[in-house]
Amino acid sequence: MAGRTMDAGLHLLDRQLIDCDGRLAGKVDDLELEPPEGGGPPTVTAILAGPGALSRRIGGRFGAWLEAIANRLRDGDDQKPARVSFGVVKRVGSAIELSVPRADLETNRLEAWTRDHLIGKLPGAGDAPD
Amino acid sequence: MKRLFSVALGILTAIGGFVDIGDIVANSETGARFGMSLAWVVVVGVIGICLFAEMAGRVATVSGRAVFDLVRERLGARVALVNLVASFFITFLTLAAEIGGVALAIELATSVNYLLWAPLVAVLVWLVIWRVKFDIMENAFGLAGLALIVAAVALWKLHPDWGGLLHGATHPVVPQGEGHPSWWFFAIALLGAAMTPYEVFFFSSGAVEEGWSRADLITNRMNVYIGFPLGGLLSLVLMASATLFLEPGGIEPGHLSQVALPTVLVLGKLGLAVLLVGFFAATFGAALETGLSCGYSIAQYFGFQWGKFVRPAEAPRFHLVTLVSVVAGAGLVLTTLDPITVTEYSIVLSAAALPLTYFPILVVANDPDYMGDKVNSRFTNALGSVYLLLLVVVAVVTIPLMILTKAGS
Repeated sequence: MAGRTMDAGLHLLDRQLIDCDGRLAGKVDDLELEPPEGGGPPTVTAILAGPGALSRRIGGRFGAWLEAIANRLRDGDDQKPARVSFGVVKRVGSAIELSVPRADLETNRLEAWTRDHLIGKLPGAGDAPD
Repeated sequence: MKRLFSVALGILTAIGGFVDIGDIVANSETGARFGMSLAWVVVVGVIGICLFAEMAGRVATVSGRAVFDLVRERLGARVALVNLVASFFITFLTLAAEIGGVALAIELATSVNYLLWAPLVAVLVWLVIWRVKFDIMENAFGLAGLALIVAAVALWKLHPDWGGLLHGATHPVVPQGEGHPSWWFFAIALLGAAMTPYEVFFFSSGAVEEGWSRADLITNRMNVYIGFPLGGLLSLVLMASATLFLEPGGIEPGHLSQVALPTVLVLGKLGLAVLLVGFFAATFGAALETGLSCGYSIAQYFGFQWGKFVRPAEAPRFHLVTLVSVVAGAGLVLTTLDPITVTEYSIVLSAAALPLTYFPILVVANDPDYMGDKVNSRFTNALGSVYLLLLVVVAVVTIPLMILTKAGS
């Protein structure tokens, strides 16, 4: 996906992330940008997803509240929002398709925790839908 | 042949699925107080829900994206969050009202207080969401909801003065002793009941759940254009029954049993039994829809995996939200807050929130990036814009009118 110029606010922000198996893997809550050395428009280096990234965009009291929860839920002192390197982006359409499974993403931590500690423990959680 | 069957099934399901506790309460109360003078609002509401449900179903079918997904993308993180908080709150209130409605229907059949049934109903609702296949769930309760047609049979057997009812509907005047503000307040409640936002959350997410493709667009049209109006007709039957039976006596249906009164008087115990099956199915089906919609809206805003088309363990946060919502809904009923009152508030607040949901649908249904050649026709856009304008006006006046009329009392 290197070298394409686009309006990141319009074509990336708030879009759905879909992993290589077609599973939903969060939203593009924010972007990590880097100015190129020679000047010119900045390059998108990563997608930031999850409550940590979202809270900063929402701002205000609710944003601060959301960020506090996000920090509380995270292990250790790592206060950075979950990051998806832009290198794993396969296609940008009405959704952002990734070339890796969501289990490999940092953004999947809360989903995995909920599965392992709550929903996965209920009888029938692993049964196929039909 | 198979397609014909699925289209017919879809239509029948849509009829039974259209009516929920909000429609039952709003139509009966209006009939009892204002006769048929607000029947036109049901027509306006049904056309509105047809217009936007068809759009939402078409968008979901063509792009694979359900309504709240679009809300987030079109309105941005902040405005969509305000929308999420409002929509979730209203959908949750409706869920509580439906759980209360199911419990009241069982109370009518068993004479055991509804508060004892509410926890059991919540457990059943969650079990169905957790275990039953999506299409079986939708069809079973939609079809059983058709039992409400018994109310139409009762009305027919009464040989009512059809001309008088029609005249009342086509010549709307505020009855003597009632003020204009109350009349308009009930008009808004009827509109909110017919166009509740959860219907499009559920309808569009359902299209994704069932894996609709372009070949299903015809099913989408038929469900909406035939099923919903017939469901609306069923609402009008309840209004007409209330007009004939309750209005002359000045009875206001504060309880489900009064809604059932006309059917009992005409068709006896058997009629009541069939009607109760209809009440149960309609409210239980709507409890499933609102419970799922609580999960759909939150998951689609945050981008979690959602839906019953994957194993529950693959959509853990979605299932956690539905589970917590159903439990909390039963909790709200157990506070002994009157379910009918909860219903009234849920439909009026729905009316106030309608533009938040319907604006993004109208925008995306015109975006060729999502829709290709299936964008809205000019006619649909013109009608959609008129409705949006109407919904904005309704949204602005609802809360002041609610305060002014003390919620219509």
